[in-house]
Amino acid sequence: MSAIHLKNLTKTFGDFAALKTMDLEIADGEFMALLGPSGCGKSTTMNMIAGMEEPSSGKILFGERDMAGVPMGRRGVGFVFQNYAIFTHMTVRQNLAYGPRMRGAAKVEIDRRVGAIAEMLQLSPLLDRKADRLSVNILQRVAIGRSAIMEPAIFLLDEPLSNVDAAFRAVMRTELKQLQRQFRQTMVYVTHDQLEAMTMADRIAVMDHGVLQQVGTPLEVYNNPANVFVARFIGAPGMNLLKGRPAESDRGLVIDLGPLGVTPPLPDELASSVRAVRNDVLYGFRPEQVALADRGLSMPATFVERIGARTIVHLGEGESAVKAVFENDVGLSVGQTAVVAPPASSVRVFDAATGLAVRAG
Amino acid sequence: MSAVTATISEDKMGAARAKPAQRDEGERLGFRLTLPAQILVLFISAFPLLMQLYISVTDWSPLSGVGWWNAWEMWNSFANYTDLAADTRFWSALQRTAIVMLVCVPAEFLLGLALATLFADDFPGKRIFYSILLMPMMVVPAVAGYMFFMLFQSGGPVNDILSRIIGGPVTIAWLSDPNLALIAVMIADIWQWTPLMFLILLAGLVGVPEDQIKAATLLGANAWQRFTTIVLPKMKTIIIIALAIRVIENFKIFDTLYIMTGGGPGVATETISVYIYKVTTQDLIWGYVAAIALAILIVLSIVAVYAMKRMAKTREVPA
Amino acid sequence: MADIVFRNVTKRYGNTLAVDDASFTVNDNEFFCFFGPPLSGKSTILRLVLGLEVPDEGEILIGGKPVNSVSPAERNVAMVFQNLALFPHMSSRDNVRFPLVERKVADAEIEKRLADVAQKLHIGHILHKPPAQLSGGERQRVAIARALVRDPAAYLMDDPISALDARLREETRVELKRIQRELGKTLIYVTHDQEEAMSVADRMAILENGRIRQIGAPAEIYDRPASAYVARMLGSPMMNILPSVRGANGIEAAEGTIRIADARAPAEAIEIGLRPEDLKVRPWTDSGTAEARPARVFEVEPLGGYTVVTIEAGQARLRALLRGQPDVRPDAMVAISCDPGRVHYFGQDGGAL
Repeated sequence: MSAIHLKNLTKTFGDFAALKTMDLEIADGEFMALLGPSGCGKSTTMNMIAGMEEPSSGKILFGERDMAGVPMGRRGVGFVFQNYAIFTHMTVRQNLAYGPRMRGAAKVEIDRRVGAIAEMLQLSPLLDRKADRLSVNILQRVAIGRSAIMEPAIFLLDEPLSNVDAAFRAVMRTELKQLQRQFRQTMVYVTHDQLEAMTMADRIAVMDHGVLQQVGTPLEVYNNPANVFVARFIGAPGMNLLKGRPAESDRGLVIDLGPLGVTPPLPDELASSVRAVRNDVLYGFRPEQVALADRGLSMPATFVERIGARTIVHLGEGESAVKAVFENDVGLSVGQTAVVAPPASSVRVFDAATGLAVRAG
Repeated sequence: MSAVTATISEDKMGAARAKPAQRDEGERLGFRLTLPAQILVLFISAFPLLMQLYISVTDWSPLSGVGWWNAWEMWNSFANYTDLAADTRFWSALQRTAIVMLVCVPAEFLLGLALATLFADDFPGKRIFYSILLMPMMVVPAVAGYMFFMLFQSGGPVNDILSRIIGGPVTIAWLSDPNLALIAVMIADIWQWTPLMFLILLAGLVGVPEDQIKAATLLGANAWQRFTTIVLPKMKTIIIIALAIRVIENFKIFDTLYIMTGGGPGVATETISVYIYKVTTQDLIWGYVAAIALAILIVLSIVAVYAMKRMAKTREVPA
Repeated sequence: MADIVFRNVTKRYGNTLAVDDASFTVNDNEFFCFFGPPLSGKSTILRLVLGLEVPDEGEILIGGKPVNSVSPAERNVAMVFQNLALFPHMSSRDNVRFPLVERKVADAEIEKRLADVAQKLHIGHILHKPPAQLSGGERQRVAIARALVRDPAAYLMDDPISALDARLREETRVELKRIQRELGKTLIYVTHDQEEAMSVADRMAILENGRIRQIGAPAEIYDRPASAYVARMLGSPMMNILPSVRGANGIEAAEGTIRIADARAPAEAIEIGLRPEDLKVRPWTDSGTAEARPARVFEVEPLGGYTVVTIEAGQARLRALLRGQPDVRPDAMVAISCDPGRVHYFGQDGGAL
C-alpha cells in the first residue's frame, strides 16, 4: 500500500518551528503537490517522509506501517533532489544502474532495466557520457530515471524543475505527469510555483510558515480559497483583495470600499454569512474574472503588461491596487480610467482580522 | 525529441568553450610581471641541481684542495655512476628503504583513513581527541627519535607493557636485534606521520558532496557500499596527493631513525638517507654522494610525475 | 546619445560560433531584451557590450563611437550582476559610492550623484544599512544604484531574477520596468523566461545558436513571428505547428481534424501554426462532411482562470487554451476550429509566409 498519512507531524530545529502540526492524507497513486513560498516547511515535510529527518513529534504512515525508526534506505521511496545529486564521477548508465546494483540484481537484468528507463526518458544516446558535464535538463532526467528504475511505490520530488530553464520546464512537466500516470506511483511534489502545482497535481497542499493552509484539488483551491494567503498565492496573478466594511443598502448587503466606492450587492447566501462578521472584511475577486463594465470600480491604469495571449492591467495604487487580466484587444493604456466589475458569483469575502474566508450558507 | 538534440548541441558548445577567451595583452603582461619571480624560483631549484650534476661526474671532495668550481679538473668520466651500480651496500640500503616505505605508507594510509571516517561524524570529546591525535606530528623528529630510543630499550616501557599483557617477563632487544630494529623504526614513523594522512584524508572526506551520499542511501546502498562507490572515488585526487607526499617523504626517512639506531645495529636500519649521510661525513667522497643523490632524485621525480598524471586524469577539464 | 549598435558582429570560441553576424540597434532609453534558450549567445552579447570580449568580426558602437578596442573600464556601461555582488562589509551608501571613489571623483560630485540616484530609486532612507539588513528588493535597488551612479550610457542585467520564487519574480519584473521608465536609461536585459521578456521589454531580440532571428516589440513578434522557431519561442503553451496540405476549400491539417476555410492561404505553405488561445473547441456534433473530423480530448488541465485542453488530432497532440473552467472531459470528442485570420503559415525553410 502506498498511501501516505501524516499525523500531527511537527518539526523544530532548536527554537525554530519549521513545521507545526501537519495532518495530511495522500491517497495511493495520488499526485500531491506541497506548495508554498521558501521557508514554508514543504521541504522539511518531504525530508521527513523520505526519512532524512526525524519528526519532532507525530507519525508518518505508509499505508498501515508506521515509519518511525525505518531508515531512509529501507523506505522504498524514490527521491529527486533539487540539485539532482547525480553521481558526477559515474556515467549516466552507472547512475541509472546504481539502485539495482546495490540490491544485487544480475547484470542482464540491470542492463535491461537501464535500457528501458533510458528509452522512456530519451537518455539512450547519452548512456555512456560522464555525468559531470551534462546540461541541467539532461541531469534532471537522469535524476528521475535513477529513482524510477527502482519502481518505488512512492516518489518524492523536491522542486525538481527550479533549476531548469523556463522553456524546458513545460516539456518536463508533461514528462513527469506521463511517468506518474504510467506507473501510478504516489507522487509528492514540492514547489513554490503555483502554475506547476495547478498543472500537475491531483490535489494541492498549500503551506505557509510551517502551517498547512488548505488541501484541495487545483480548482477547489482556486475557486474557494480557505484564507487570504491561499487566495493571493494561487492564480496568476493572485486574487485581488480590497479592504472594506459591510454596509446595508436598498439592494442588499454591499461592501463599502471607502474612496473606491461601494461594491455591487453580494449574493444572498454570502450576504447572510458576511453580516455575522463583526470586523472589516476583504472583498476578493480574481483578475481573470473581471470584465470591463459600465458600473463598478473605477480606477486609473498604472501599468500594462502584454504577455502573449493576455494582457495584465495594473489599476489603482497602494492599498487599492488591483490587477485585471484581459484579452489583447482591450485597448487600455497607462493613465486611462477603467471601470471593472467582477461577476457576482466569483466574489469572495474574507474576514480582515482572521484572514479566513467567509463562506456562504 | 528536439529537446534532447537541443541539449546535446549545448554540450558541444560547452566543450568548445573550454578555453577562456583572454586578451593576448593580458597574458603577455602577466608573463612579464611574473618573470622576476620565475627566474628566482628557477635559480633556487635549478642551481643546486646543476651543481650536483656537475660534481657527480668528478672525484671532488672538500678536502681535495680545489674550489668546487674547478672540480672539472678531477673529472672521472662517470666512474661514480658505475661504482654506484656495483655498490652492494647502496643497493641493500635502497632495498631496506623500499621495505620501510611499503610497510609504513600503506599502514599510515589505512590508519589515517579509518580515523578520518571516525571523525566524519560528531561524537563527544571530538575536539579534544582531535588535538591529541595531531600531537605526534608536531613533535620534533629528533625528539621523537630519542623518545622511541628510550621506549624500545630492553628494560624500557614497551617491554614492560608487553610483559604485563602476556603475564611473563618480556626482554625483547628491539634496538640491538638486527631483525627487530627495522620494525621499531617503522613503528616510530607510523606513529609520527599517521596524523598527517589523517588530516589530508579528513579534508578529502569532508569534501565529498553530502547530497550524493544521501541519494546513494535512498537508493539502498549500505555504509560499506557508499564508502566504496561514492566516498572513495570522490577522494581520488586527495588520496593520490596524500600518498605521493608520504611516499616521497618516507623515502627520505632520516632524523627519527638516525637518533634511534644510528643506522644500526650494523647496517640493519641503514636506509638510503643514512647511507648518504655516512658516505658524506665519514668517507667524504662528495662526488660519489652527489651521484647517489641525483639517482634518488630521478626515482622520486618519476613517482611525482606519475602522481600528477593520475591526478590530471581524475580532475575534469572545466567545460 | 546613448544608443548601442552592433554591425555584423561575430564571436567565436574555438570552432563554435557564439555570436553569428549579429546586427542590431538598442535605442536610447529603451528597455531591450535578449531572449533565447541557454547557450544561444545572449550572455556573449552582453559581454561584448561590456567589453569583456572582443569581436572577431564586425563593429560595436556606443553613443555613435566605435568601441571595439576600448577597455571595459572606459566604456560607459555598467553591469548589475545576478547575485548583485554587493560588498557585505560596507554600508549601502559606500557600496553605491564605490565606483566613483575608485575613479577618484571629487567628494562633492560623489555626494551629488549619490543623492540623485538615491532619490530616483527611493533608497535614501536605507543607505546607512549594510546589504545584509536589507530585503531582496531593496538590495536589488542598491545594486542598480551602484551601476547608475557612474551615469553610464546603458546598464546591463543578466538574468537577474530567475533565482527568485515565482511570485517574487512576477512582482520584481514590474518593479524593474518601473525603475527603468523613471530613470530613462537604456537597459539591456537578458533572460530565458519568455513571459518575463514580453512583460518588460520595449523591444526584444530572439536568438538561436548565436544568430538573431527577429527583433521587434514583444507584441509584434508574438503576433507576427518571422519563423516557426520564433513562433515557438514565445507563448505558453507553445504554438501548435503542424504539417498542412491544401484541401478542397482551404487548408487541412492533422488528418482532417482541422480545416481552415481560407482560399488566400499561401501555396508554398507546408506548415500551419495555431496559437492555443486561438483554437476554438466545441463538442462534436455530426453536421455533415464539410466539417472537420472529430478529435479526442486527451487531457484537461484546469489552471483556474484558464484551462489547457490537450487534444489528440490525428497523430499530433494539440493544446488549446480556453478561458475559465469550461466543462470539457477527457475522452470527449470535440470539433476544433480557428479563425482564418489567426492562422500562421510557414514555408519550406520554416519562415513565415
